[in-house]
Amino acid sequence: MSKKPADLDHAFTRRAAIAGAAGGLVWAGLIGRLFQLQILDQERYQAQAEANHIKLQLAPPQRGRILDRFGRPLASHRRAGRISIIPEQADNPEETLARIASLIEVPDQRLERIANEVRMSRRRNAGFVPVTVAHELTYEDFARMNVHAAEMPGVNVEMALTRSYPRGRDFAHVLGYVARASQDDLVRLTDDMSDKEAETLKTMFRHPDMRTGRQGMERFAEEWLRGKPGYRKLVTNAHGRVIEEIPDERLAPTPGRDLFVTIDSDLQRVAIERFEGESGAAVVLDVESGDVLAMVSTPAFDPNDFVNGISSADYAELRDNNRSPLYPRAHGGVYPPGSTFKMVVATAALEAGVIKPTDRVHCNSYYHFGNRTWHCWKRGGHGSVNLHTAIKGSCDVYFYEIARRTGVDKIAEVARKFGFGEDWVLGMTGGRGGLVPDREWKQRVRKENWYEGETLNFGIGQGQLGTTPLQLALMTARIASEGKPFTPRMIGIGPNSADDHSLDAPLDAEIMKLMKAGMYGVTSEGGGTAYRSGDLGLGGPRLAGKTGTAQVRRITREERLSGVRSGSEIARELRDHALFVAYAPADNPKYAISVVVEHGEGGSRTAAPVARDILHFALKTDSRRKPTYSQSASLPASMKDEGEPT
Amino acid sequence: MNREGFTGFSRGEARTRTATSLSFENQGVLEKLMRLPWGFILLIAAMALTGIAMLYSSAHTNPIEAHLWKLQLVRLVICFVMMIGLAMLPLSWWMRLAFPAYAGTLVLLVLVELMGVTGGGAQRWLQVGPVAVQPSEFAKLAVTLALARYYQMILQPQTGRILVHLGALAIILLPAALIFKQPDFGTTLALVASGGVVIFLAGLSVRIITAVIVGGVASVWPVYQFVLAPYQRERVDTFLAQLFGESTNALGESYQIEQGKIAIGAGGFNGRGFLQGIQSQQDYVPEQHTDFILTVIAEEFGFLGSTALLVGFAVLLGWSLYSAARSVSWFGRLASAGAVATVAFYIVFNVGMVLGLLPVVGMPLPLISYGGTAMLTTMACFGLIIAAHMHRDEKLTARGIF
Repeated sequence: MSKKPADLDHAFTRRAAIAGAAGGLVWAGLIGRLFQLQILDQERYQAQAEANHIKLQLAPPQRGRILDRFGRPLASHRRAGRISIIPEQADNPEETLARIASLIEVPDQRLERIANEVRMSRRRNAGFVPVTVAHELTYEDFARMNVHAAEMPGVNVEMALTRSYPRGRDFAHVLGYVARASQDDLVRLTDDMSDKEAETLKTMFRHPDMRTGRQGMERFAEEWLRGKPGYRKLVTNAHGRVIEEIPDERLAPTPGRDLFVTIDSDLQRVAIERFEGESGAAVVLDVESGDVLAMVSTPAFDPNDFVNGISSADYAELRDNNRSPLYPRAHGGVYPPGSTFKMVVATAALEAGVIKPTDRVHCNSYYHFGNRTWHCWKRGGHGSVNLHTAIKGSCDVYFYEIARRTGVDKIAEVARKFGFGEDWVLGMTGGRGGLVPDREWKQRVRKENWYEGETLNFGIGQGQLGTTPLQLALMTARIASEGKPFTPRMIGIGPNSADDHSLDAPLDAEIMKLMKAGMYGVTSEGGGTAYRSGDLGLGGPRLAGKTGTAQVRRITREERLSGVRSGSEIARELRDHALFVAYAPADNPKYAISVVVEHGEGGSRTAAPVARDILHFALKTDSRRKPTYSQSASLPASMKDEGEPT
Repeated sequence: MNREGFTGFSRGEARTRTATSLSFENQGVLEKLMRLPWGFILLIAAMALTGIAMLYSSAHTNPIEAHLWKLQLVRLVICFVMMIGLAMLPLSWWMRLAFPAYAGTLVLLVLVELMGVTGGGAQRWLQVGPVAVQPSEFAKLAVTLALARYYQMILQPQTGRILVHLGALAIILLPAALIFKQPDFGTTLALVASGGVVIFLAGLSVRIITAVIVGGVASVWPVYQFVLAPYQRERVDTFLAQLFGESTNALGESYQIEQGKIAIGAGGFNGRGFLQGIQSQQDYVPEQHTDFILTVIAEEFGFLGSTALLVGFAVLLGWSLYSAARSVSWFGRLASAGAVATVAFYIVFNVGMVLGLLPVVGMPLPLISYGGTAMLTTMACFGLIIAAHMHRDEKLTARGIF
């Protein structure tokens, strides 16, 4: 069936019209759909678009600072460039890491560790938590990464606040350090929390800026310093890259509180320098207020090294260093106090009434007891000594005698009144109580009876007795203040320590005056063991003190007979520790100090000059030692006028 | 009497001018240029430049894609000049080129099969020196030309039998099969659909059309079950799920549709303003500079902007179809109408997909989306439409294959 051309022409026109009409219908349908989406459902989609790009991100609080008594920062913050990667937002984490490594220097070993961490976080479905790739960027690296980060989805380059210890090693053992929270930390921190609180805390600690106190005051005052997390309102793109931040006061994190310590960081510095590289410890106390003004343990580590995680090699070096920089000597180092303990023995004897101050004992350098012989340090002996001259000359024979008469339990009881045998936390960690032995202890721990001979060793501060430099300073402060109640403290404004308390067991002021007279004799009278160190060089005030030597090993009879005791002839680590305790000014004590110079051999030769120079500085700068925090703190008005915190 | 406008000539006038129009080929190039339908051409240019602006908006924040608009502008200028050149080509030349172009496209499609570059899960691209071309795009124009040429050859002696249309079907199905095998479901469908429109316009009997529609509906399920690859089936499933309002996995297959719809809906009536779309500016919609560019227009210029775009397309295609109907020769009519259908199906598939009315088939929006091959095909289609318009009074005689 064939058609004429004109019919076909008409047929084409008709069919074109039909096709056009069909097209028109389809177009109408499309526009109808646009109307539905853009006009009818507009609100729903606009809300979805908003929700799409505004995200709430957990914001870590800024940790409180730790300041010294004058408000100078000991632990604060420093801005540093940091690169982190959010695994779930990176298209190909391995490739991205390689790209970063091509732009800035990242050690291969570290790169491998990060790649591993990224893989792990994906497996644990924690791919939204940023993993730190590099921190402490140089300015050049930071700028270069900033330029290229836009091409790498999931990579964030930002300025972060990093914990910083501007005084470095000076406060390592007091402040401790912060670190990323480990699993152990989290278990410890969430111990007494509800599940919900614990979950929030754990989430917060996953943030790369969050640190927790691992040691020292950072750990002790964790809750005070930490603050509360908040949220940041962020505008992000589809890859999670932050476009801008919408400020919102209500969501902001609550920063941690600042903490004031009683320490004077200048005094601390002077004290550390005075050790001239020797290992040792020094504690300076304010006799009136109980403030710890210096707490020195040297050598020390740099806590800044720990903030971003210390490498295992660096840590091993610190751990295996034969000078033990990780060891907190001032409050965790236990030493036999040696002759510095003689004031305690004398006090016990006077309290017990077994001697009078004027009673004389003859010293010919030997003391026989049972079938053994004890020696006095002074060859040839002191001759006839009473209490005063025995302390001044540190006569061992005198103290063997009075210790034996007093008995171990009485000496131990008095030692505890001075603060021995107790771990004074004062906001630190790693402290030790040492040991004040007595009959009960020996029976309980050693399952043996106490031997009378041990009491003799006890009498000159040797044997089982173990004390810390902090305890020795406390003892000195108690003597200097003539037995008044004494409350040591190192936290000026901050969390109270539940363990610490006032040292207020009664001590007879008259007996303390005798002790002070003896200590004055040591430094300022002929025959005193530290006669040369008595002058503070300030044209008037003198210091009063007591030397001590802590035996590191037993002296053999052969050595004693042959006279080989000179330090240069024996290895350093076998030499005795030198001790010195003192207060100044002698007539109106303000400062008490204890100094231990490890392997320094003689208290008078090495420890006393250190103590004298520290006290010299302390007294020279005395007029400005008033803490600044007491003025700003919320003390009652009447107390503000007096200035000194109580 | 407006010679250059959309109206063209009325039927009577055309008849009276037949004698002169035969001598068009001898006229000067300048005069021919003057006679081009400049209103139509300027509308094309305006819409293409809108596309460049939207491309800039969608990609300027992304450092990798920020420069693409410049590249696209260069392509646009080249393709635009080419379109004008093609528009001035006599229809007899187009006719001579029809079968060789079709044969060439088939060769290219076979080459793709043998040594094509795989991209996006399908083997579609052919690397020619520095550029990758997609022969399946050229196939759309080649099939249109071949069909028009075929009907010009057959209808001239006026044989309207069914057998005639079977030949046309073969012309469509041969390249369609090769493209389907790549696999490229969207292009296959567009090719078959626009080819079908040409057959319909060529006068296929209503009974057969009815039978095809019934058969088509009946074959939907078997095709879904046995012909489609799993990933294609998944797309259809996703599409159906969202069409019926089922909540689909926001990060799964429908993420693109979901985010696209949010962008469109968030635009509201007025839109958020140029460069102000929060979805568009922050990369939420994948492939936003290519297939999903409509979401940028919709978000930044709102319902007004997206409707204006569709109306612009409607004006272009309506005038083209009208112009096709004015053509004296069967080749002119069918080639022009086939080109209209090709562009129209591009638009319908793309917009339908972006609006969540059709499954995701991966089809660019003509004149707007980023991409060279699609731009080339679209501009060639418009060139052909204008050429048919310019030579609408020309009677053509087909002799042999060339």
